[in-house]
Amino acid sequence: MDLIRFEKFYYRYKGNEEYALNNINLRIEEDNFILLCGETGSGKTTLIRCMNGLIPQFYSGFYKGKVFVNEKDTINTPIAKLSTDVGIVFQNPENQLIAMNVEHEIAFGLENLGVPPKEISKRIKESTSLTEIEHILDKAPFELSGGEQQRVAIASILVLEPKILILDEPTALLDPYMAKKIINLIKEIQVERNLTIIISEHRLDLVLPFADQMILMRNGEAIEHASRDDVLNGLNFQNLMLNKPVIYTIFDRLRNENLFFGKIPASIPAAIDSMKKLQSE
Amino acid sequence: MITIYISKDLPLIIIENVDYVYPNGTVALKNINLNVHKGEMLGIMGKNGAGKTTLIRTLNGLIRPTSGDIYINNENTNSKSIAELSKNIGLIFQNPSHQLFANSVEDEINFSLKNLYLNKEELQIKTNEILKKFNLDKYRDRSPLNLSGGESKKLAIASIICRAPEILVFDEPTLGQDAREIESFIKLINTEKEKGKTIIIITHNIEFAFEFIPRTILMESGEIIADGPTQNVLNNNFLTERSSLILPQTRQLSLALQKIGFQDINKAVSKNDIIEYLINFLRNKTTSVQEE
Amino acid sequence: MSLEFLNAFKFMKKESFLHNLDPRAKLVLALTYTISALLFNQIIPLLIIFLSLIPLVIFGKILKQWIKSIRGLSFLVLFIIILNTLFLSLSFAIAMIFRICIMVSAFSIFFLTVDPNDLALSLISMKFPYEFAFSFSLAFRFVPTIANEAQNIIDAQQSRGYEMQKKGFINQIKNLFPLLIPLIICSIKRAFNVAEALESRAFGSKKERSYYYTIKFSLKDWIFTIYLILILIIFIFIKIQFSVMPDWLVWRLPV
Repeated sequence: MDLIRFEKFYYRYKGNEEYALNNINLRIEEDNFILLCGETGSGKTTLIRCMNGLIPQFYSGFYKGKVFVNEKDTINTPIAKLSTDVGIVFQNPENQLIAMNVEHEIAFGLENLGVPPKEISKRIKESTSLTEIEHILDKAPFELSGGEQQRVAIASILVLEPKILILDEPTALLDPYMAKKIINLIKEIQVERNLTIIISEHRLDLVLPFADQMILMRNGEAIEHASRDDVLNGLNFQNLMLNKPVIYTIFDRLRNENLFFGKIPASIPAAIDSMKKLQSE
Repeated sequence: MITIYISKDLPLIIIENVDYVYPNGTVALKNINLNVHKGEMLGIMGKNGAGKTTLIRTLNGLIRPTSGDIYINNENTNSKSIAELSKNIGLIFQNPSHQLFANSVEDEINFSLKNLYLNKEELQIKTNEILKKFNLDKYRDRSPLNLSGGESKKLAIASIICRAPEILVFDEPTLGQDAREIESFIKLINTEKEKGKTIIIITHNIEFAFEFIPRTILMESGEIIADGPTQNVLNNNFLTERSSLILPQTRQLSLALQKIGFQDINKAVSKNDIIEYLINFLRNKTTSVQEE
Repeated sequence: MSLEFLNAFKFMKKESFLHNLDPRAKLVLALTYTISALLFNQIIPLLIIFLSLIPLVIFGKILKQWIKSIRGLSFLVLFIIILNTLFLSLSFAIAMIFRICIMVSAFSIFFLTVDPNDLALSLISMKFPYEFAFSFSLAFRFVPTIANEAQNIIDAQQSRGYEMQKKGFINQIKNLFPLLIPLIICSIKRAFNVAEALESRAFGSKKERSYYYTIKFSLKDWIFTIYLILILIIFIFIKIQFSVMPDWLVWRLPV
């Protein structure tokens, strides 16, 4: 069964002549870590907004085709109902925090769904221990660092126990160290909760080691969706102007010099393995 | 290797023992001492809240040091207004929507130039020149609100550069940008550098700093904890850990390669050094195999 | 330019007898003192009322911020003194100053000690609709964020030569555009982001909402409220029977 399925989906924002999404056909399956890549303006955020019904329910515009989430049609299933299937964490943590303290923040979604307080308390404990924020429960959002804010935002989504966790450039506003910690945390969450993760991210070097699959977008089209290694070794990835990791650039160069014929590694350990092989050949 | 431009003249910017304490008692800057020479390009790195943006705000008087002095062109900035200082120092902020407000792209540039009191003709010439330079002339009459993210960032930069300040200060110019946009930004700062402009860049982008910024200071809790050639500063595990950065991938890779027997790879500093090293290694190996 | 003064009304988490009271009890406090202040226009009774607030402020551990909020009134105080002494009398002016101080103090005590989260809950418990109470607390939540944004906008515009001081009323208004337009546009963008995040967390779900936090009107709240009502009754009694009050209560400045 597909968790998310796009069927010939087109979308254009109100007042725009160009299509932001063009004939999207995608199938997202369970238990995958998926990296969504594309140049600025290629439609990543728009695609994400379609995955929990924000498009077309919150953003009006013209659309064609269908999107199913857990076999629910996103066009007429209320966003609130879809929120237990799909959780989205957005780029700017500050705009996602709406309560005056962290505990209340995390309870908010469950309160909306009418979950009894006892259950809320239990789930808050689970999601805050997973995201390691138990010690800041009574802090106000503006007392938190950017990294803490993003952790809270993630916890406030996790508490809803969605099957798919989507993150739209979650580390864009963080410093590199925090970004790395958040990306590692997301991987831990996936393992712990058996979730499907879809993440759009500019810092490819941090995410690539964890990704199972990649989706490439260009001008509103999903031009490739395949396993990470296939995408990484393909022409589409090579041609896009993305912030490619240093390892990629190095091995791509070696490949062009006819000195390397294997698959381009996605992480430092993988790169070392490839080099070991070259050493001993 | 990269050599820092060192001039015998006095530095263009001299920051002496600067402290800044917020009214509520939080210390934001502690004993800052920094010299920047004309034509230099300086990176400022460090985690969020380390005092980077406070430091650059002291340069044009948005924040006045609690103690210590700042000299620009040998003049103490103390007695000068923000407006006077901004003629010399162009601060370009992270978020273009914090400054775009005019009816059209052209008006936006005019607004920046207005405060320089040019006559009408000069104003027109300058505006045309800058719009052309930034490839914005096709949007001349468009509202700045209808520009794409990348274009509005360009306009924000243009609205400072048109004032021809001697010193350009960028706050996180590459944030959330893809390789194409970063490339065009690099082109832009290179032309400004060629004109002799002094450039200061706050950035979290390790690989960008590593490849393009010759000198970097690291900040931590309001203090400068390191100041030197960027590649030395960023390759230092102790320093990067202290300021919550991560080692550049080049460094991570060369350390790992060293462990599996590539002894002299630590001489390779940049991405290209590593590539060259590996190409040499692999070529030599294939030839030696053929000889056997 | 800074937006420091907002702090005089900003809630800070503390342990004190005032902080632990139910927000509704503190609303009664604010109202009781406001009504009492309006009952009198003589110096001595108003002074007594004013002084009776001070122990509350001390026990509530909010002395510093309270002094700040009173200090914020200095301009208004000057204005009242000048106007009232010109047209009425100095005694009346002083009485009016105490009246203003009492009213501002009563509400600053309220805002300084009521957790904005609880504020929304107490609004709901007073039968306000949830959406209304929520938007109220949302507004509270975003005050520091927007203040910060405003500061950034001021800094960005000043960095391109914008000058704050301009002479003439029309010029002053015109001169605000470079600040107001970005602030409005950024706030609209932010509102969209916030709404998007809310939607994604089941806000507006058709199901009946549950409440993780509850507020409880406990024994100490009842005792405090009864005490306040008693005070109010005494003041009203004094007001009605004012003609038979001792002379010292109606004392005025000899001028």
